[in-house]
Amino acid sequence: MTVKEKKGLARAKELYQDRSQRAKELKAEGKKVMGYFCLYPVLEIFTAFDIVPFRILGDMGEPITKADSCLPTIVCPFIRSALDLGLKGKYDFFDGVVMCHSCEVGEKAAHIWRIYLDPAYYHFLDTPHTVHEPAQQQFKGQLEDYQKTLEAFTGKKLSAGRLQEAVATCNQQRALVRELYDLRKSDPPLISGTEIIEVMVALMSIPVNEGSELLRQIIGEVKARTDGPKKKAHRLLLWGTVIDNTALVEMIENVGANVVMDDTCVGSRAYFPLVEPTDNPLDGLSRRYLVDIKCPRTFHEAAYGDTKKDYMKDLEYRFGYLKDFAKEWNADGVILQSIRYCDIHGYDTPGLQDYLNHIGLPNIYIEHDYSEGALAPLRTRVQGFLELIG
Amino acid sequence: MTKVVIVDGDGKTCSVLIGPTGAEHRRLANKVMADALLRADLTFDDVSYVVATGYGRINVPFADRQITELTCHAKGIASLFPAVRTAIDIGGQDAKGLKIRNGKLVDFVMNDRCAAGTGRFLDVLVGTLGLRIDELGEISLKATQKLPISNVCTVFAQMEIMSWLSQGTPLPDIVAGLHDAIANRVVKMVKKLKIEPEIVFTGGVAKNIGVVQALQEYLGFKVSVPAEPLLTGALGAALMGKELTLKAIAEGKPIHEKERRLAESTFFHTENH
Repeated sequence: MTVKEKKGLARAKELYQDRSQRAKELKAEGKKVMGYFCLYPVLEIFTAFDIVPFRILGDMGEPITKADSCLPTIVCPFIRSALDLGLKGKYDFFDGVVMCHSCEVGEKAAHIWRIYLDPAYYHFLDTPHTVHEPAQQQFKGQLEDYQKTLEAFTGKKLSAGRLQEAVATCNQQRALVRELYDLRKSDPPLISGTEIIEVMVALMSIPVNEGSELLRQIIGEVKARTDGPKKKAHRLLLWGTVIDNTALVEMIENVGANVVMDDTCVGSRAYFPLVEPTDNPLDGLSRRYLVDIKCPRTFHEAAYGDTKKDYMKDLEYRFGYLKDFAKEWNADGVILQSIRYCDIHGYDTPGLQDYLNHIGLPNIYIEHDYSEGALAPLRTRVQGFLELIG
Repeated sequence: MTKVVIVDGDGKTCSVLIGPTGAEHRRLANKVMADALLRADLTFDDVSYVVATGYGRINVPFADRQITELTCHAKGIASLFPAVRTAIDIGGQDAKGLKIRNGKLVDFVMNDRCAAGTGRFLDVLVGTLGLRIDELGEISLKATQKLPISNVCTVFAQMEIMSWLSQGTPLPDIVAGLHDAIANRVVKMVKKLKIEPEIVFTGGVAKNIGVVQALQEYLGFKVSVPAEPLLTGALGAALMGKELTLKAIAEGKPIHEKERRLAESTFFHTENH
């Protein structure tokens, strides 16, 4: 059976286990493949240039050896892992990389990547950390520059028409992801949290239109399945940092809960917000990526100075969408997780817990090391949490 | 350490066993159980329900259910001290804070990553001092000064102790300083739960009168220690089993969810609810 013949969930699993297989095939056919960190390297621009976008992730099973001489050990182990893979040549099939100011460590890692790996094409998006109009304009300017450097590298000029088409293509994929997530609303959900991660990682390893085709297959398969997850005592929403590996969610789903919804960047955070079609597509793109992606690396407030006025009102503005998620997906508890040393999620956690306690949604915060080995203590905490919410 | 508690239908303890777990927990859990049954003059079939708890709870193949030590400790402690609102458990390799309301666990904090603030801290350092664990409490009562010792890292603390010893500092002062370090570290962690009395202190380290006093100083409250501080987890597990059995009987449901045998484990199975 050749690589292309598997379909649906089996194909997603295959891509999850061997991410680069399809990208390498396409490269052999003459396509350009580019790696990117985080979510701000705009997918639509890759798509409009017919470049295969490949999200750079880590490998929880690979011990970090080379990255320790480039990055201090007390920083995000996920980024250290991703950089480590790069230094070990695992991403040598890239024709270029697009990085961004995701967070402090991400920014440093981006520059280190450029210095050590010297990619043929390298672009850095200095993504602002606030959401107001001047920041959106700034980000739009960044995207204009990015488009120019890509035009120079590929030798192709990009028309607004092509970009608008790409917006439609990417929005279509996002709508399909929503459709798939809707299948998690039933009790039990038709697709497990573990399977969702495999699907999401697969999507981030192939072109957008191929991802959409895969999603259509999966949606059809899942709707008809009889071997889905079993009903369990609890339904959880998982919030936090990058989860690109099934180990943690598998552990949670083995101690008596179904993970029915998520807010992580290998999940709803990456796919739910749609791009509004605008005359100049960069306006809609700038707004969607900078403002509508709800990541703690961005300082969200309704209007200048609102953060200082009314604490609960500010929390409601920042986290109200999670209340809606919990209601729509019928979650009875929230697991806040972050990778050790993630300052941005760490700083959001107290406020989010205050908000969840205020709306009466049980929650627990766990921290992990982005390593497969150290899950047993987390198992006790999650199981203890499930026992106490009864 | 493995602890077994067998209770009867009225919740009264009829057998107790505490022993070192060794490296082969999974294979030998049945031997520990058989020993406890012998002491209680019972057979395995006399036992209505087995609840396994603690770090090795997945290694008891004949258990009817596994429940975390968080829930079990809260249950066991509340059965002995009905007015408890905060429980602090300092065991051999972890420390826990439990918030209990009306006998139920409502929140918890744990340190199971770092030796400082657990019994291991004392285990490691007692060797440097040439003392035995069970002597520490009494010796510390003779201290004449408060010695600041690192509570962040067991290894750093060891280096500091060597330095104090080489200066001729009296042993009681050093030991009291160690107790202070543990108490400080644990209270910092438990404070996240908003501490309210009654406060109960359990775990092997609770047998150390010096740590009890240091803890009381940092808390600003008195603490109660059960007669058998190592058994509250197992006791709670047994009481949970009793509850589950009586509930099943009342509802006319089968007591056991699966077949169980008291035999040496020859396979590994993963938990899958």
